[in-house]
Amino acid sequence: MSSPLRTLVDWLDNRTGVRGLLHEALYERVPGGARWRYVWGSTLVIAFVSQMITGTFLWMAYSPSTQTAWESVFYIQYEMTGGWLLRGLHHYMAHAMVVLLAIHFAQVVWDGAYRAPRELNFVIGVALMLVVFGLSLTGYLLPWDQKGYWATSVGTNLASQAPVVGPEFKKLAIGGVDYGHHTLTRFLALHAGVLPGLLIALLVPHIALFRRHGLHAREPLKGPDAMFWPDQLLKDSIAALGVVAAVFVLAIYGGGAELTAPADPANPYNAARPEWYFLFLFQFLKWFPGELEVWGAFVIPGVIVTTLFLMPWIGRTRGGHLFNVGLLVILLGGVVLLTAQAVRDDYFAAWYERTEANAHKFDASQAFLDAEKNAEREAERVIELARSPEKIPPTGALSLMAQDPYLQGPKLFAQNCAGCHTHVDRSDGADSTHNMDGKSATAPNLFGLGTREWVAAILDPDQVADADHFGYQESPFAEGTMVDWVQSTVPDLDQEHVDQVVAALAAESASSGNRVNERGVDKQKIAAGFQLIKEEIGCTDCHKFHEVNNEGGAPDLTGYMSRDWLMDFIRNPSSERFYGEYNDRMPAFAPHDNPQLNQLDDQTLGLIVDWLRGD
Amino acid sequence: MKDKSKPDLVNKTVSWNRRTFFEMLTAVVAGTVAIATPFVVGVVSFLSPLFKKNSNPQVRIALLSQIPDDGMPRSFPVVTDHVDAWTKYPEQRVGSVYLVRNQGAAKPIAFTAKCPHAGCFIGYKPGDELFRCPCHTSAFNLDGTRERGDAEVAPRDMDRLPVELRTVESTDDNGPTEVWIEFIDFQTGHKEAISTV
Repeated sequence: MSSPLRTLVDWLDNRTGVRGLLHEALYERVPGGARWRYVWGSTLVIAFVSQMITGTFLWMAYSPSTQTAWESVFYIQYEMTGGWLLRGLHHYMAHAMVVLLAIHFAQVVWDGAYRAPRELNFVIGVALMLVVFGLSLTGYLLPWDQKGYWATSVGTNLASQAPVVGPEFKKLAIGGVDYGHHTLTRFLALHAGVLPGLLIALLVPHIALFRRHGLHAREPLKGPDAMFWPDQLLKDSIAALGVVAAVFVLAIYGGGAELTAPADPANPYNAARPEWYFLFLFQFLKWFPGELEVWGAFVIPGVIVTTLFLMPWIGRTRGGHLFNVGLLVILLGGVVLLTAQAVRDDYFAAWYERTEANAHKFDASQAFLDAEKNAEREAERVIELARSPEKIPPTGALSLMAQDPYLQGPKLFAQNCAGCHTHVDRSDGADSTHNMDGKSATAPNLFGLGTREWVAAILDPDQVADADHFGYQESPFAEGTMVDWVQSTVPDLDQEHVDQVVAALAAESASSGNRVNERGVDKQKIAAGFQLIKEEIGCTDCHKFHEVNNEGGAPDLTGYMSRDWLMDFIRNPSSERFYGEYNDRMPAFAPHDNPQLNQLDDQTLGLIVDWLRGD
Repeated sequence: MKDKSKPDLVNKTVSWNRRTFFEMLTAVVAGTVAIATPFVVGVVSFLSPLFKKNSNPQVRIALLSQIPDDGMPRSFPVVTDHVDAWTKYPEQRVGSVYLVRNQGAAKPIAFTAKCPHAGCFIGYKPGDELFRCPCHTSAFNLDGTRERGDAEVAPRDMDRLPVELRTVESTDDNGPTEVWIEFIDFQTGHKEAISTV
């Protein structure tokens, strides 16, 4: 060592005793030499340090409130440089920690390393394990997405069933009766402050006691004693690197951590599941119907955790130690079995055929799979919206979703229209996610409303009277004037003329709303079709069309199926402009000027119409 | 460079007399109070959710004409003003209810969609004969009773909410009828339905 450096170290040592500290830290005797089996505790420490580092950086970009939590995580994931990787590392390292914890714990119990004088250190270890579980529970909620929200909601609801203090405990945990800002502020304080602080406060004595008692060597020793530095530290470092590498690969493979749609208390997330390492608990609860739940959620887990704390004293005799090892095997085996069972229950419908005997199970699983698929679709869509140049409004991403026809249309259609209408894509390679196929539709199929294909089908003598069009159940139009006209007149028209009429009507549907391309193409064809409708083929005998004002009782074809036309139509189909007295059972959804008297408001109507038109 | 006075200090024992006793007592009490003061103040504000009073909102759900008396459940969002700490959300969706009007019944029955087991959202697919909870697979008949009774994971039947019909005032005395409910949030996991408020 060069002399200025030596002088500096001497000076530092004189004031702090750093040499002695370092010596004590590094020159620990390892009985029997360094071994790979001793690395697990160190990898856990490294994993925790890694979590503190990534967590601190995440914290710098995270904002805990119901309007900003999801939004800030979205920003980390999709807008910040390397943000997705940062999230991914934090997310998968949390998984790795649980796995490492299981290995570390199993090894200690298996080796009987909890025996005197190490009892207290074992107790601290079990406490540390609980703190790590607490960290993963609180962290799961912070993105405030559907998955975290609903899973945590189930978790805290269970906690509220704890005898005596349950409801109060829940109120304190979530900061009120409902989930909200204070749920996030509290969970963040727990996750980033209280629990890591507690973890450090326990980890320091855990390591100090470990050094005091020395390493619990596994007999038979493999060689002569060695020092911690550099032999064991080398192995520890390589193991730590291995863990980080594995997590890194997982994070890249997973594209960071998942982010589902923003939490919406009014929009159920039917695929809510806890993180995989808590799935066993989730499955375990299914065994306890009704009020027996308290056994599954508190009594049995409580007894097990207490037993874990007592292991060092139970294990004082050989029989006791065997009991501990047996319990360990049963617990780990039980966890594996329950987890497998939970996964099998959820994916049952994907792996098996439905039979009479498994119907209940199959349907439950199908519901889960549908919900998962739907949630993916929602998440994709809201992220697409949030990434658009419009960005997220101050009210948060949830309002993006609430005003999106693509997301709300199907729900509103199911609520208001699907009682009579269907919405089914009959073309090949159809995307079935939007299909709503009632078994006994009493009104037309509304898929592709106003498009050329749709208009062409109406004017097709073979299709006009089928169940998707005027031939639905109990239709008064099945043998009406329109069907009659299409079936008798259209076959006599040139195909070219029919195409022109189709193009013109489809162009009418584009006169308001977002379907703009329809007007730009085939201008001549459209103009020709326009003339045909107006004067030549008899449409205006019954229909009104632009300045040709006929009172034949058939719906106005001006702007036919355009946004404005449809809005007015749904408001009141019985108006003179539309079906008047010939209206079949379609209700008027907004006939009044006073919005309070109407079934649907303009915004809702707009969402349905935009979705139907595919705008 | 050892401190000359150190050995004396180490060997010195505390003589027990009234003066030292009060010295120790004061040291312990003063120290405890010094640390406890900020802690207690913090804890009190932390406990504030326990001191807040809440009430169940009355909410207009739908027009009666939206619920035909065919005995089929229809899902409606519960939209009401919602206050979350410092934010007031006007007309926010705070939950969901199923309205079922049986044949000939004047009033629909309202079920909250919150599962009495663990608070998941009970789902219903049009045409199905059961409500199904997606989480722990509880199933309920369309009248809200548990499909398998006490063998079901859920500890009680689906929770019903009080329904009230109100007629909208209009000039021609023929205003539409609205369905209002009291949106009660029930505790989960108990045999009895207990409001969280």
